[in-house]
Amino acid sequence: MAAHWFDQKERGSALLLRVMRAVALAAGHRAASLLLWPITLYYYVTAGGGRVALAHFYQALGQPATTRVLFRHYLTFAHTILDRVYLLARRADAPSLHVRGFEAVQECLDRGQGCVLLGAHLGSFEAARAAGLRHEGLKMQIIMEERVSRNLNRVLGALDPGAGDTTVGLGGPSALLRVRDTIAEGGLVGIMGDRITPTETGYVADFLGRSSLFPLAPLRLAASLRAPVFFFAALYRRSIAGLPYYEVVFEPLAVAAPEGPARRAWLQDLGARYVGCLQRYCRMAPNNWFNFYDFWSTHTLGCLRARASGKPVRGGDTGAVDRADVAERRRA
Amino acid sequence: MAGQTEFERELAGLLVTSLNLSLDPGAIVPDAPLFREGLGLDSIDMLEIALAVSRQYGVELRADDPDNQTIFSSLRSLAAVIAARRTGA
Repeated sequence: MAAHWFDQKERGSALLLRVMRAVALAAGHRAASLLLWPITLYYYVTAGGGRVALAHFYQALGQPATTRVLFRHYLTFAHTILDRVYLLARRADAPSLHVRGFEAVQECLDRGQGCVLLGAHLGSFEAARAAGLRHEGLKMQIIMEERVSRNLNRVLGALDPGAGDTTVGLGGPSALLRVRDTIAEGGLVGIMGDRITPTETGYVADFLGRSSLFPLAPLRLAASLRAPVFFFAALYRRSIAGLPYYEVVFEPLAVAAPEGPARRAWLQDLGARYVGCLQRYCRMAPNNWFNFYDFWSTHTLGCLRARASGKPVRGGDTGAVDRADVAERRRA
Repeated sequence: MAGQTEFERELAGLLVTSLNLSLDPGAIVPDAPLFREGLGLDSIDMLEIALAVSRQYGVELRADDPDNQTIFSSLRSLAAVIAARRTGA
């Protein structure tokens, strides 16, 4: 069984990644893409639990998880990592970006209104960031768990030192104040809404026909920023001619959060819309699902079971969308 | 009961309303940590507090303040900083 994503070790040493970066830049996109086959084969064969977890995902989609499908999935992931090299280095051979639905975001930005972008580990956030970089002067911040993929981010980050400024890790009081400032200055803040840590408070939603646990914190953060919320994803696609490109999609999810008691309904609505959107794009481009751990893990199911039986769960009530859990924790 | 000053009591009230906490403002111990092991608040609550404080008292809590860790450590430290920086008070 795959470890929870939080406990998974990064596969790929800094040295190996540096060598691959150099080869990618020297060989160019086409030649380097061919190298991905043997590399992916190695990762695929040694993936173990990740492959099993992925098979579960395809089962949930109602699609056969054949070796061919699973290998292609890993290959897509490898492509998105390789593409990061060209996107960050701003090379001409980077795949093109086809942006859809940004007009509504642009409308907000034109008014000086900052926006929250709620995404997932679906597709390439690098391609989404690259789409944003086309807009000169646009402030962008992407919040992510920096502990995972530290080597990869360091090696790739060296290609564009400025890009490092756009990622913020959570923790410490200053980080979120910086995020608040980005919104106040009319910028974009990207948040991932799909991965939950074992101690976090979550909300339950139907995802691909299964009861699933999603983290509440990204929704609460979106609420606290009091800005319109959009779904975003940059999906790796291939044209009829076989050429890779990224389909960068934006969809409105919610207007800025209201104050007071109406907040609760707003959070519930946002959660439902977000998961609905995520599900739709998962069905559209399943090979872009880059959560290589069991999304419906034993821990998650344990939480859901505990909730159903009314027993308290670590990290608060899994269905909570108000702050009663805080008071409960205090009394405990 | 918890040894709050008048202003700490007022600020505790603001915390409880803005975070929608189901507890009596008078029960917040001024020296107890607000976050994690203390009141159990997290960084998003902190952001919400910063917004409420800026609205209520016109005091802007800045991202580049090196003292942020201390400022948000307890009700007492937060109250002290607001009282010191408050405009028009």
